[in-house]
Amino acid sequence: MLNFKINLNEIDKIGKFSKEEKDFRLKNLNYFNNVGFPNKKQEDWKFSDLREIVSKNFSKLNIKSSEQEKSKINFIKDFEHNYIVVINGRLTVSDFRFEENDKIKLKSFTNNDFADRKENNPLINLNHALSDKGFFLEIEENYKFKKILVIYNLFTNDLNEIILNSKNKIKIGKNSELHTLNLIINQSEKNFFNNVYENVVLEKAAILKNICVQNNKSSGYFHKYSKHELSNASNLTTFIFPSGLKFNKLDLEFNLNGENCECNLQSASFLNKIDHQEIKTRVNHNSPNCKSYQKVKNVLDSESKGIYQGKIFVKDVAQKTDAYQLSKAILLSERSEFDSKPELEIYADDVKCSHGSSSGSLDKDSIYYLMTRGLSENESVELLVNGFLSEVIESIKSDSMKNFLKKKLADQLNGYKKN
Amino acid sequence: MLSIKNLSASINNKEILKGVNINIKPGELHAIMGPNGSGKSTLANVLSGREGYKVSGELKYQGKNLNEISIDERAQKGIFLAFQYPTEIPGVNTRNFLKTSFNKVRKAQGKKELDALSFLKILKEKSNELGMDEKMLSRQLNVGFSGGEKKKNEILQMKILEPNLVILDETDSGLDIDALKIVADGVNSSRNDKKSFLVITHYQRLLNFIKPDFVHVLADGKIVKSGTSELAIQLEKTGYKGIN
Repeated sequence: MLNFKINLNEIDKIGKFSKEEKDFRLKNLNYFNNVGFPNKKQEDWKFSDLREIVSKNFSKLNIKSSEQEKSKINFIKDFEHNYIVVINGRLTVSDFRFEENDKIKLKSFTNNDFADRKENNPLINLNHALSDKGFFLEIEENYKFKKILVIYNLFTNDLNEIILNSKNKIKIGKNSELHTLNLIINQSEKNFFNNVYENVVLEKAAILKNICVQNNKSSGYFHKYSKHELSNASNLTTFIFPSGLKFNKLDLEFNLNGENCECNLQSASFLNKIDHQEIKTRVNHNSPNCKSYQKVKNVLDSESKGIYQGKIFVKDVAQKTDAYQLSKAILLSERSEFDSKPELEIYADDVKCSHGSSSGSLDKDSIYYLMTRGLSENESVELLVNGFLSEVIESIKSDSMKNFLKKKLADQLNGYKKN
Repeated sequence: MLSIKNLSASINNKEILKGVNINIKPGELHAIMGPNGSGKSTLANVLSGREGYKVSGELKYQGKNLNEISIDERAQKGIFLAFQYPTEIPGVNTRNFLKTSFNKVRKAQGKKELDALSFLKILKEKSNELGMDEKMLSRQLNVGFSGGEKKKNEILQMKILEPNLVILDETDSGLDIDALKIVADGVNSSRNDKKSFLVITHYQRLLNFIKPDFVHVLADGKIVKSGTSELAIQLEKTGYKGIN
């Protein structure tokens, strides 16, 4: 049984800090130690009992180890791109060969916000206490990226019973535009925990299109809290294509702070084996005339479990809000589980908010139809699942990206066998 | 080609087919007519291997016992069912589906699979014959297709897969006269001395365009009368009630 308390001395092992920073870290570690890993008694974690998952799968959790800083990367050849390489959470190299380099600032992340806030999520406290790596990317005003930026997130094969805490920040200046592909590549076959705190800031009329892809299944346990701040007329699009992990929770917060901004989140997941995945969103409509759109699709096989908790909050001043939320799940196995908790909290009176959630098995008539055309049952299921999930890919404009993602999805579904 | 002897089928303990006998030789086209609820679609479903039916009696295709062959294998062995209501399949591109199905059947028959380019050539030729808009093939399978488009898509598949035994389940329903002619031409141009057809229909109308060798009347799960194409004309005059 794992002891959930982390010794305060661990902070000194990470590095030397100013008194202010050390106090901040200590305070947060105390917050964490008081509650430990969250369990299902906490509303936000009712479908993901992390305490149970961690104690079942870890005998210890090291804070600091001498993990590798170098690793071989298979760079994508399907399209030209700029890149950043992040190994085990630490920024290593970058290449912005297609851009004007003076418009881009990239450095290792250093935290200078030591405000004492009560966080609802203990893993954020844990990150505040122990985070020692990450990157800060800033794009100047009025600059549109010419090519996509690929962020290669590598996890090396020597990771074992360790928890990595990192913080990333991306800030996009006024009228600037960035497209990113966040690619997570895991080479470790041992258990490790990755805890990320991310902050994304879009200034006036900035555009960010982000695609997040997990390249392969692994023994990683992933938690990411991502906070997005949107100013006037900014536009954020996020696509998420996870691979399915033993634990993967994405806790995403979108603050639509300026008028006329838009945020769009879409996700397509194929989960099997004992995958456990939760996508939790909170969209805060804090200003009038903003739009938000969410579509989350899951296909679940074997004993996998998928969760979608989506909350739309509309502040009293946020008139003419247009918010939409849809969750669709297909369960291929009687042992799989999907939990959905849509929530609307609305204080303005002139808004358009809708949500829908459906889950069920594959349509038998469709399977029959495909089989009368010579496809086996498994092939029919694979084709239908592919069709269901690739609908999300279809709404991406770039053809080369579409093909890249379709290949990834096909690989994931390849050789699908009904259990 | 197909020999059906004393075929019974029930679903949810309700007997639908109560001893059907039909024998179809290579090159023959048989029509089955009958009122609503007589078991016509059940017969089509049972022949294609749809699950959920309790089947007894003899069902032989090219000398093999069909009861032991799965749905997809039946298709691979050359049985084709054109659906009365083709299923809409979201997310699946029509052209890609046709290629997958085409190569799947070819592979099972020991023929070489075709690459995209060679297949598209065949597809273009066959879809032109049916006067189909090529844009339709880029759409999701049957999704948002009109009744006529769906039926044409069925006939297109029939032409591409080159089956030995074609079962048309009320292919004429919901078609206007122009579409009906195109579908009938599609069937007629596929007829040869090796291929057999079983055409299930409500009305004699289709049989003005597709001339059957034999006509059977199915009522309450049994063939109550068999004859030549004259029988269909007689039926049109007297109705199903007048045949006994």
